[in-house]
Amino acid sequence: MQKTATPDPTRKPLISLEHVGLTLSSRAGAVEILRDVSIVVPDGQSVAVVGPSGSGKTSLLMVVAGLEQATRGRVEVAGHDFSALNEDQLARARGGAIGIVFQSFHLVPTMTALENVALPLELRGDRGAREAAAVILDDVGLGPRVDHFPAQLSGGEQQRVALARALVSRPRLLLADEPTGNLDGATGRQVIDLLFGLRSRHNATLVLVTHDEALARRCERVVRMADGRIVADVRGEAVRA
Amino acid sequence: MTIATTLAPAAPSTGMSLTRLLSLAIAELRSGLGGFAVFVACVALGVAVITGVGALSDAMRSGFERQGEVLLGGDATLARPHQRATSPERDWIASRGAISETATLRAMARRTDASEQALVELKGIDDAYPLAGELKLASGGLSRAAVSERPGVLDGPGAAIEPILLERLQLKLGDRMQLGRTEVVIRAVIEAEPDKISDRMTFGPRVFVSLPTLETTGLVEPGSLVRWRYAVKLTQGSAESQLLSFRDAVKAALPDAGFTIADRRDPSPQVTRTLERLRQFLTLIGLTALLVGGVGIANAVATYIDRRRRVIATFKSLGASSQQIFLLHLVQVVGIALLGVAIGIAVGLTLPPILDALIGDALPVRGQLTIRPMTLLLAATYGLLVALLFTLWPLGRAGEIRAAVLFRDEVAPGSAWPRWPVIVGTLATALALVGLAVATSESKKLALWFCLGLLGTFALFLGLGSGLTWLARRLPRPRRPELALALGSIGAPGGLTRAVVLSLGSGLSLLVAVALVDAAIVDELDSRLPKNSPNFFVLDIPKAEYDGFAALVKQKAPDAHVNHAPMLRGRLVRIGDTPVESLKPPPEASWVLRGDRGLTYADEVPEGSKVVKGEWWPKGYQGEPLVSFEADLARLLGMKIGDQVTVNVLGRNITARIANLREVRWESLAINFVLVFSPNTLADAPHNLLATIALPKSVPIAEEAALAREIGRAYPAVTAIRVKDAINSFHAVFTRIMRAVRAAGGVTLLAGALVLAGALATAQRRRIKQAVIVKVLGGTRRQVMTSHALEYLLLAVATAALALVLGSLSAWAVLARIMEVPFVFSGRAVAQALGVALALVLALGGLGTWRVLRTPSVPQLRSE
Repeated sequence: MQKTATPDPTRKPLISLEHVGLTLSSRAGAVEILRDVSIVVPDGQSVAVVGPSGSGKTSLLMVVAGLEQATRGRVEVAGHDFSALNEDQLARARGGAIGIVFQSFHLVPTMTALENVALPLELRGDRGAREAAAVILDDVGLGPRVDHFPAQLSGGEQQRVALARALVSRPRLLLADEPTGNLDGATGRQVIDLLFGLRSRHNATLVLVTHDEALARRCERVVRMADGRIVADVRGEAVRA
Repeated sequence: MTIATTLAPAAPSTGMSLTRLLSLAIAELRSGLGGFAVFVACVALGVAVITGVGALSDAMRSGFERQGEVLLGGDATLARPHQRATSPERDWIASRGAISETATLRAMARRTDASEQALVELKGIDDAYPLAGELKLASGGLSRAAVSERPGVLDGPGAAIEPILLERLQLKLGDRMQLGRTEVVIRAVIEAEPDKISDRMTFGPRVFVSLPTLETTGLVEPGSLVRWRYAVKLTQGSAESQLLSFRDAVKAALPDAGFTIADRRDPSPQVTRTLERLRQFLTLIGLTALLVGGVGIANAVATYIDRRRRVIATFKSLGASSQQIFLLHLVQVVGIALLGVAIGIAVGLTLPPILDALIGDALPVRGQLTIRPMTLLLAATYGLLVALLFTLWPLGRAGEIRAAVLFRDEVAPGSAWPRWPVIVGTLATALALVGLAVATSESKKLALWFCLGLLGTFALFLGLGSGLTWLARRLPRPRRPELALALGSIGAPGGLTRAVVLSLGSGLSLLVAVALVDAAIVDELDSRLPKNSPNFFVLDIPKAEYDGFAALVKQKAPDAHVNHAPMLRGRLVRIGDTPVESLKPPPEASWVLRGDRGLTYADEVPEGSKVVKGEWWPKGYQGEPLVSFEADLARLLGMKIGDQVTVNVLGRNITARIANLREVRWESLAINFVLVFSPNTLADAPHNLLATIALPKSVPIAEEAALAREIGRAYPAVTAIRVKDAINSFHAVFTRIMRAVRAAGGVTLLAGALVLAGALATAQRRRIKQAVIVKVLGGTRRQVMTSHALEYLLLAVATAALALVLGSLSAWAVLARIMEVPFVFSGRAVAQALGVALALVLALGGLGTWRVLRTPSVPQLRSE
């Protein structure tokens, strides 16, 4: 049975998904990845999405990021109706409002840490991009390594660069897909502390996809998925129960 | 059984048998050859060119051998200038078999009203002509009837002519035309002449008359430039030994007759030599294409090895040695190279039938498909050597991959050098390639220079690639993200930079060089002729008629400058005591020793030449016969002042001592000869004069033509060749050669395009990932496209710029050192190089970008 959390009437919704479905074609035929998913995330909330592999967690994140277009239902993020935007409009909407952190970091290997972090701002034509990037890299403890290429950084350092890059444009929404999946325990913990710290400083909404129940419990709300559906949605004290 | 368990027992470094290695290599290739398409295509393309060129040359040679008798007009021929065979000579030749006598010369054919005239190649034939093959006439019928000299029955002596002459003189069949002093009736149009190829290079259309008609024209006088030729159908048979014994018999029976002998094994040594040189040149171009393709081969192998790092590490963890890893992959690579070689040979062998079907009529002989093992072996050896040259290095590095990769994946693979045996092996392969190219070329020096030039070109473009990568990494990153991304890609370790510059560089340089040589020659022909260059060369002016001739020219064109020199033809027979047949001259000088040459004598140093060594003989000199030799040729033939030179003139051997060496400015177009004798040596021999007429530049073409008509009318036996026409003929031949060279250069560019396509395919994954990240971060498709376009533009411009410099240097070297023509820079060549570079890079890159933009983002972003 699907348990749905009651929306917080004091905060405006930043993410609103109504009866969203995602069906992809494969050689074996059509595969339903998301089925009738509805969720509202208020501005400033932290949400963990948990569930077994193949349950649709990452797909949900991709739909919210505008990287995957829902085949059914309505997706509204930061005031944009994603179902009505084309690829470039989605990219622009993302550039202004959404920061994403991936498990595999996805840094541009041919650019230094500073250039990687400045890139989202430069793509929008921001002339102060480098300066802003330098400040946030300093915040994540990479001040002395701004001129290093990804290949010259450790996994934890690369993820910190990715985090800085996700937050440099001060997004309202921070999406993280298994951000510690490729890191060892200690490094993972450092990165998560940084992620939550920066998220509160920037007052960003966080949607975190994770396998780690302990990590999920650090969020205000936990959404559980199975077989493409939301099967549980708990928040507040119930999360830690 | 898995690969790992197969390998495990064979862990000691030398313990694996060849069969086991082979079966393992085959098992390892089970996953398919997908990544090797470019490898196979690169080897196949180069091998196809070399095989195709070789097979075409073999087909022509085979055609020559099988049709030799028809092409020569008999089993053997004896030819000499000026002098018809004497009765004893004729009798001797006739005693060896059936004989046919022909005489060829250049002459003017005129309309009977003298309103039009044209230079023709006149051939007088006897009743026995041709001894082999058939003179085909458009109207059918017998050639003898067409050229019959008997008047009355057929209304005067007849002629058979090539159709183009009807057009030039605006005549039709049955009309009359003037040849020397005789009017002939055009009775037939020639469709095919069996032995045309064995005559010297022809400038004008062919006209056949009978020998008795030729005699009545007055064109054949003592000293006229006539070539007498005797074809023999040997009674003794025409096996190789019999042909050789006939040659020996001629030398013994007619030692000083001055005949040039040819036999059916090689009916036209000149054409054979040209074909052989063309084959060698195009083989070198094929080798260039192979070497350019080598970059693609190296890329494919490096990518394959990179993809297999973990498998190799697993092998190592199971005890495989570096040597075993190296051999295992070497076997695979050789197998794939052999597949490319097989495809290349199969494609190459289709070239002769295709060309025969398309342009068979334009070839000097119909080819006959022959497969010579040497041709296939040469192509296969080139293909395998190039494949080895470019794969040993990356394979050597494969052996150095450590088992630790399994536990700690390196983000950027290190640039470890292979072990020394691999480095030595690579160098040895390179040397073997150069050695093979030099050994199979007639001109060793040229082949060596070609290889060195190619090596230098590769090294420079490799340097450019590394330089660009280095610079792109160190340049301050511009704030414009598209440009920053483009510079980032140029500086990236696995980027396209090296592949683009190396794959396109050599082909573009060749293209620029060809375009600039072409431009300089055209410029030289069109606008750089010396101010006082002659308008006409006039042949066969009888000595006694020269004064009248000069007076006529002065009267019709008072400002004309007329120059003249005696002209005979003779053959060099000995240098010192060595017969010329025993000499081995360098290719650029061998023409002097072949066939007959123009000879002259003079009291003073001829115009347009300068004595650089020795002394010119005093006026009225009466001592031992002296000769002046052209300095460059003397150097190439190893001749010096004081050496004796024997020439055969009019069936008599004349020996003279080299008194001085001259530097000749051939481009002045003044009358000049390689050999100039002291007057006392040749003055008594019957000969005519050669004259040049130079008109002021202001004289219009109509007046030039009118003067030629006046000369023709007054002196029907002399032949006036318009310099502009001769230049146009040369221009036409030159344009065709340049077209062939361009086509050959195109193959190199095609190889470059293949390599580029391969490199783009390899880089595609990284580029897709980068584009996806840019899109995730808010970048639009336009921004991705712009960054790609900027990257391609920068690479294409840099490559084209270096290609321009190298192409210009090569063109300058060819022009200044070989052709002695001033270098001219051409904006068209620049535009061409830039245009081709941009078109190729943008077209192939654009295709890649299109695929990048079409790739959905999500699968790329999911955790690997």
